[in-house]
Amino acid sequence: MATYDDLLKPASAQTADAPALTDGAPTPCGAPGAMVSANADARCIGFVDRVVEQLGRQADALIPILQSIQKRYGYLPREALEHLCEVSEITPRDIAGVSTFYSRFRHEPAGTHVISVCHGTACHVKGAPLVSSALRRYLRLEDTQTTSADGVFTLDSVDCLGCCTLAPVVQIDGITYGHVTPDGVGQVLTDFLELARGGGIGAGVESGERTPGGLAEVRIGVGSCCIAGGSMDVLTQMQEALGRINAPAVVKPVGCVGMCHQTPLVEIEKPGEEIAVYARVQPGDAEAIAYRHFRPRGLGGRARVAVSRAVDRLLTDENWPPPDRYALDVRDAPVCAFLGPQRHLATELYGAANPLDLDDYRAHGGFEALKRCVTKLSPDGVIDTIERSGLRGRGGAGFPSGEKWRRVRAATGERKFVICNGDEGDPGAFMDRMILESYPFRVLEGLAIATWAVGAHEAVLYIRAEYALAVQRIWEAIRICEDHALLGDNVFGTGVRILVGIMEGAGAFVCGEETGLMASLEGRRGNPRLRPPYPSEQGLWDCPTLVNNVETLALVPTIVRNGARTLAELGTGLSKGTKVFSLTGKVRRGGLIEVPMGITIRQIVEDIGGGVAEGRSFKAVQIGGPSGGCIPAELADTPVDYEALNEIGAIMGSGGLVVLDDSDCMLDVARYFLQFTQRESCGKCVPCRIGTRRMLDILDRLCTGHGRIADLDELEQLAGMVRASSLCGLGQTAPNPILTTLRYFHDEYLAHIEGRCPAGRCKELITYTITDECIGCTRCAQQCPAHAIAFTPYEKHTIDSSKCIRCDTCRQLCPTDAVRIQ
Amino acid sequence: MPTITIDNRTVEVEPGTTILDAAARLGIHIPTLCHRQGVKPQTACMVCVVKIAGRKGLLPSCATIAEDGMVVESETEEVRLARRMALELMLGDHVGDCVGPCQTTCPAQMDIPGMIRLIGEGRLAEAVALVKGRIPFPAVLGRICPELCERACRRGRLDAPVSIKLLKRFVGDFDIWAKQRHLPVCRPATGRSVAIVGAGPAGLSAAYYLRIAGHSCTVYDDRERPGGMLRYGVAESELPHWVLDAEIEPLERMGIEFRAGVRVGEAVSLEQLRARHDACVLAVGDVGEWVEGFAGVPVEGRALAADRGTHQSPLPDVFVAGAALTPSRYAVRAVAGGRSVAQALHLFLQGEQPAGAERSYSVHIRTMDPDELEQFAADTPRHARVKIPTGQPGGFTEAQARMEAARCLHCECAELDTCRLRRLGLAYHASTTRYHGERRRFERDMSHPLLVHEPGKCIACGLCVQIAADSGEQLGLSFVGRGFTVRVAVPFGRPLSDGLREAARACADACPTAALTLREHFPHSSLPEPEAPAPRFRRRRRMLRRPFGRLRGSG
Repeated sequence: MATYDDLLKPASAQTADAPALTDGAPTPCGAPGAMVSANADARCIGFVDRVVEQLGRQADALIPILQSIQKRYGYLPREALEHLCEVSEITPRDIAGVSTFYSRFRHEPAGTHVISVCHGTACHVKGAPLVSSALRRYLRLEDTQTTSADGVFTLDSVDCLGCCTLAPVVQIDGITYGHVTPDGVGQVLTDFLELARGGGIGAGVESGERTPGGLAEVRIGVGSCCIAGGSMDVLTQMQEALGRINAPAVVKPVGCVGMCHQTPLVEIEKPGEEIAVYARVQPGDAEAIAYRHFRPRGLGGRARVAVSRAVDRLLTDENWPPPDRYALDVRDAPVCAFLGPQRHLATELYGAANPLDLDDYRAHGGFEALKRCVTKLSPDGVIDTIERSGLRGRGGAGFPSGEKWRRVRAATGERKFVICNGDEGDPGAFMDRMILESYPFRVLEGLAIATWAVGAHEAVLYIRAEYALAVQRIWEAIRICEDHALLGDNVFGTGVRILVGIMEGAGAFVCGEETGLMASLEGRRGNPRLRPPYPSEQGLWDCPTLVNNVETLALVPTIVRNGARTLAELGTGLSKGTKVFSLTGKVRRGGLIEVPMGITIRQIVEDIGGGVAEGRSFKAVQIGGPSGGCIPAELADTPVDYEALNEIGAIMGSGGLVVLDDSDCMLDVARYFLQFTQRESCGKCVPCRIGTRRMLDILDRLCTGHGRIADLDELEQLAGMVRASSLCGLGQTAPNPILTTLRYFHDEYLAHIEGRCPAGRCKELITYTITDECIGCTRCAQQCPAHAIAFTPYEKHTIDSSKCIRCDTCRQLCPTDAVRIQ
Repeated sequence: MPTITIDNRTVEVEPGTTILDAAARLGIHIPTLCHRQGVKPQTACMVCVVKIAGRKGLLPSCATIAEDGMVVESETEEVRLARRMALELMLGDHVGDCVGPCQTTCPAQMDIPGMIRLIGEGRLAEAVALVKGRIPFPAVLGRICPELCERACRRGRLDAPVSIKLLKRFVGDFDIWAKQRHLPVCRPATGRSVAIVGAGPAGLSAAYYLRIAGHSCTVYDDRERPGGMLRYGVAESELPHWVLDAEIEPLERMGIEFRAGVRVGEAVSLEQLRARHDACVLAVGDVGEWVEGFAGVPVEGRALAADRGTHQSPLPDVFVAGAALTPSRYAVRAVAGGRSVAQALHLFLQGEQPAGAERSYSVHIRTMDPDELEQFAADTPRHARVKIPTGQPGGFTEAQARMEAARCLHCECAELDTCRLRRLGLAYHASTTRYHGERRRFERDMSHPLLVHEPGKCIACGLCVQIAADSGEQLGLSFVGRGFTVRVAVPFGRPLSDGLREAARACADACPTAALTLREHFPHSSLPEPEAPAPRFRRRRRMLRRPFGRLRGSG
């Protein structure tokens, strides 16, 4: 494996071509908005003046202003912040407080390229911590150092990139690498630097044309997972290939198909033929696929057959070693199983609609609901419909939406606001991202209906900062809607005014809590406050405010268009309709799924997800993310239902569903979530600020073999107190992962106290050994970063436990599975 | 107007009234830390939580508005527990000692920093009174004490510990030779009498404090002179008998009776003593050899059978103290035990549940690294430990004592008596060590002309941030960072003097702990002024009396 120095050698040799890599000056390399050194910019004064001019002088412009400054300089230079105090009406208190509250803001210059290692749940259980430490070793970073000595790379972690099906995921300057292994980090960096030198890649998606009749449609997924899998390259290659053979087909970029475990996906629909789906398509495969379906003009039969055969060979090859080789797969039985039990309401037209094709959306009934609202229906009637449908908030708590709408409508106030909460922060969840990316018009329509129904004129979408593509698509969709009078001052020519804006988050999970979100919108630290008063009485700027989650709003157009029954006829007693989940973790077929309420967890895992891998056993599902709980396999027949899930200690949550198998340690999972909530706690109230930290201390003790039996009691007591006394939902639900694992996996806690980790996960409690199956191939010895394995060709290797850092590299490399964990 | 019920009592309040204020109207006090009248509720400490019927969890009463028909319980068991844990979480994340490590370590929990401060200021009579509040025999212990306190002294981590023992001796000797000796004020006679068996350090100390409490005390001992092991177990070269006598003398003046040569169990039985007195204290020293027990009180292990906390033996009116209860060869432990049994017995005589003296309630910084120590000692004179020149008899001269006193780092907290966190911690019996995790670094900022800022003591209640903003400070204060590491600081890393100009005093007043303290409250050491050289105090030429000189008849 090339070392980091080797990697940089060509770079220094080619300084003329790529001056950026070693001299510290930033490189354009395709990253959006090339960074400028703060020193070179006359103390950034001019820039700050311009930004303030553009974005405003009041507190509510603070976060966007900071985002602009950071975009330009790569961090927030102190001079810029101090100058901002002078030229705006924003207090130093707010600037200092806000700029240090949100995790996306940097106060120190970063390296030229920022490596973000995703630490979402799915990535965590698939080994993200090992990837992180491998990168640290590779970049030779000392304890707290985050930027490599030469200033080229800064290692960062991100809570979830929402590409859970590609886990573990590493993103470098917007380029996503999936299925990264600890020993593969060198390759990833090499690949990135080559790409950077070569001028980079673009990731823009154009608003597509509608398919003219009679032409075949080649649909290529452009959801984040697909793009991360390389679908933009596939798209270009496919267009070129089809162009070369002049095929009667149109390439159509489409939203998420949901089968994120198979990205990138290509679907070909020829008139009169069955739809063919290709999964895990590589750019190089595009041509072959094109030739397979479209007769290349001027090419002989023999050549065609040869090509087909090549593709067929790939078809049968199901053992693709990620990340460097994707093979092909066609729509088959497993895919039917994946899609069979699903019901698509929020994700209607999944994988068939171009996200930004307004005509396409309208052809499928889009904006009919809004039109009927503003022209025929009364707001109260619509609220009645929503109420009768039984729609409950899909953000987690499940508050009846109709009632919420009614309260805001009834509230008195000159100004009212509607907020679409798209600050999906649960690690391991990406439903809202997919919906925003794939169905921007539907979300906007739902938002518009809500705005109109509660009597507001202003609406805003608060979207998580990590979801760049979603923000881009929503902006585009808003512009298109305004052009077509679907939003704006005169909706459908009726004089109805619905103005929609976007606010990009800046990295704070707690802003998913509605009062924290509103504080953030007002340009303050995202500290939640006590409710009541509820936002419906006193929300944004103290005006009555409706806050609904993305998925909730995406369901609204369907309900209004097709009637309350659409939802009401699906589901259980109090949980109606469908729920979108991101199914990830140790499941064969992960992805974005939408299932009717009442379906059991087992059905989701076994039928849709295809169960866990061969030789593994299904142990539990983690549902609801950091606020949720772990449900053991024995309780997998619990239906997806707000009340049923609460009863067993979990919550519906926003829809993260991570499947765990017998190689997952439940303490490690609990600790993982607690690390998350502890990191994301706003720090306002004592139970959450200090309580979560102390619970984590106890879990750390347990996971490192220093636990005592009294710790379990202490943990439970502390969990109870944090739950009862915390100010907001984050703290109140933070103990759930602990309480459920304590309840259902008590034995595992006891095992850790005895110094054993049954799943072989907790580094301090395990040792690696090599069995007699070792063939002496030396692969492990060559790659061991700690030199703990002696180089003994053709002899059985041994691991020196005192040197071993438990990075798992040897076990993953071993061709004969001779490395065991004890 | 909303009417709400708190602890089964109803009150009608103005709309918009908080539960906290409504409770105050009923005379129900709900504890708070981050609340201050006139400042927006911070909902940070969560100590003011209450239970509201029909609502999930517990709610902060400082910010929850009373609604008509609300039923509130201000202090259920759940609430008490939640409050205690909130306090424990804050105490466990608090970088500051309430009382100095010397005092915590001292078996008698003597206020050593207080003594040192008074010595430094030349207020020696007050120093005597302070010391004798815990140790009746400072001149004695100042000679033979095992210096446990000096081992704990933080100055010792820097160069050498403060000579606490010699300073104590200095205070004791001052009293012995003082024109007016210290005599504690005894409370009016209670009419109760206590028999104390054993005139060693524990027995005499018990008598001393019981007498102060107003009980009449008779000390029985089989030897001829009082003092026990202090007289008969310590070489006179180490502890001259005249010193012992001089320190026992005030006991006689206080009206404590001494019956010499009376062997309890032989000359008089314990039953007789019990009949004659309202209670007995057995301070008979090490019981190692009396395996069969003492006068009917059995032996358990190496001690007489009695509760170590309450000192009570199986015979309810018989209490045990000193080495007879907690075997030790340190006189200071015996003295501490004497005071503790006096406290327990005083409660017993008043018909209450007996309880001995508790250890002083304190948070502990634990070990500091060299950098932290440097900061901690930044404003303390750094001269070496004062040595007594060879040839100088006795202990320190006053000048030497004051010089040595100046070396004290004053680890004790400036707001010991005013800290609301400590006060509530005590009230709720919150443990200061239950949640000891990795601690923050010790920092002390002395750059402000009026204030001392110790961020490690901050509980992030937000009062100062709010007050600074409300009072229109230009720069003010801000929360920096978030979550566990959130801190209060001046924006852009500017000095505190820039952040707080007008609001400094108001912020220090509002601070519930000592994170922001007025400099004037801050304990600090300074070198004695050179122009006022204090001569070594003159030993008055007078005869020292032998206390309890007359032998009294037995039985």
